[in-house]
Amino acid sequence: MSRSTVIIAVIVAILLAGPMFIVVPMSFSTAPSLEFPPPGYWLGYYRRFFSDPNWTGPVLNSFLIGLGTMVLAMLLGAPASFALVRYRFRLRALFRLIVMMPLIVPHIVMALGYYSYFGSLGLVQSMTGVILAHACLSIPVVVLTLTSALVNFDRRLENAAANLGARPLTTFRLVTFPILRPAFFVAALFAFIHSFDEAVIAIFISGRDSATLPRQMFNSFQMEADPAISAASSLLLAAVLAALGAQFAARLVRKQRPAHS
Amino acid sequence: MALDLTLSRSAQGRAWSAAGWASALIRPPFLLYAPASLFLAVFFLAPLGLVIWMSVSEPTVGFDNYAEFFASKYDLNVLARTFQTALIVTITSLVFAYPVAYVAARKGGAVGSFLLGIVALSFWTSFLVRTYAWMVILGARGPVVGLLVALGVNPPPRLLFTTFAATFAMAHMLVPFMVLALYAVMKRIDEVYMRAAASLGARPLKAFLTVYLPQSLPGVLNGATLVFITCLGFYVTPTLIGSPQDKMIAGRIGQQIEQLLEFGAASATSMVLLAAAVALFVIYDRLFGIEKMWR
Repeated sequence: MSRSTVIIAVIVAILLAGPMFIVVPMSFSTAPSLEFPPPGYWLGYYRRFFSDPNWTGPVLNSFLIGLGTMVLAMLLGAPASFALVRYRFRLRALFRLIVMMPLIVPHIVMALGYYSYFGSLGLVQSMTGVILAHACLSIPVVVLTLTSALVNFDRRLENAAANLGARPLTTFRLVTFPILRPAFFVAALFAFIHSFDEAVIAIFISGRDSATLPRQMFNSFQMEADPAISAASSLLLAAVLAALGAQFAARLVRKQRPAHS
Repeated sequence: MALDLTLSRSAQGRAWSAAGWASALIRPPFLLYAPASLFLAVFFLAPLGLVIWMSVSEPTVGFDNYAEFFASKYDLNVLARTFQTALIVTITSLVFAYPVAYVAARKGGAVGSFLLGIVALSFWTSFLVRTYAWMVILGARGPVVGLLVALGVNPPPRLLFTTFAATFAMAHMLVPFMVLALYAVMKRIDEVYMRAAASLGARPLKAFLTVYLPQSLPGVLNGATLVFITCLGFYVTPTLIGSPQDKMIAGRIGQQIEQLLEFGAASATSMVLLAAAVALFVIYDRLFGIEKMWR
């Protein structure tokens, strides 16, 4: 591969990540509006972000909704994954289609659906409504993650446990789950992030009291009112950097340690 | 009767009876898929069905909303603009994503990890954060306008709140999706083919065009379909930094819901968007199988 190809790829990658980092100097800026380069630096917007209930409320809501979504999507999606991988049943193709559909239907269409549907159920502007909607969107994410792990699972391990007298649930607890634990962990994490990042449905149905962080960010962009948005953006960027850094560090440590020690 | 047969077989030869039914229902597959089916029926299919129903019943029963959509020059323009934007975004992101995925897949090592790390960083960072970054960069008091003024462009062009800004930002945001789709296919292409081409005397460019590129096409189609469909339904970025006059279809639906309170019209527009997305998925599914898209 020629050197110039590599250079092009590296330049594109830098252009890809570079622009995002402009939110960091903005968050320390003293300018009340979008002005770059900043006229001066301070920590005021971080103070505002952590003390203003218009920001702390949505952060808390987003965490609660994300956790609720994660639990619900795992409880429904994990059994569905086992059914899809391990059983051939009537209507299986239809079931698979229904499980995958939330990935296909554009969010704005569902936002309209939930807006009217939850309106008649009295669930609009409630946290429960957002959790129920997000759970539907996260189920396919959980199923995709778990089915790809399950397909490669060696069922002889379960047969061995059964041969040794373990009942199905015991086998699951002592054999299946521990082996698949990383996949379960990743599936749950994806479900959480899918909800935490979801903006469109949350914008239309979460209302003021259960506003999520993306909804609050969207609203402050539209009003151009609250510069604390830059602090929120920087913190989200920092969270992604920290998570990727931790993953990278873990891989380095694993590489250096000899196997099975 | 065929139905009877299958039911009694699933109850392991037991007679067609209430007991047989019950034992079929508490068996593993049903117990495993029933909760998710029920949940999705009540909280996903029902609201989606409501949109379909509203499109033919609000405010009066009939296909008036669709007739109005297809008779409205404004709405047809929105539809055409949406497809055009999605096409430009798909091609642009493909052009930028291809070299990154190519080098990451073939080179590996520190360069490969660096490239994949950057792609992951951008992939996992919220659309809102990245949209905000573009608001600052393209803003009236941002660095680009500042640079243009310093270069003597006066008055500087308006960049923010234009179709250009939205298109550019969406392409930038969807490059990581495209890279991951390309990379998934490219890393399975065996190096042996390229070495064989070289040893048979093909120059690097010729080897790439005749050997590598055709093998990477499934990834290109994967990524293009995924990006195109995502772009068709994009709401946040065009609404925040796109032109308020030149809406895309998702923004139009949002406007019909929030400002105009025309739920019937919003539902009909939604069905047009949904039909476009589903049609693309069906074509894709026929050709490749739908699960491959997210792997």
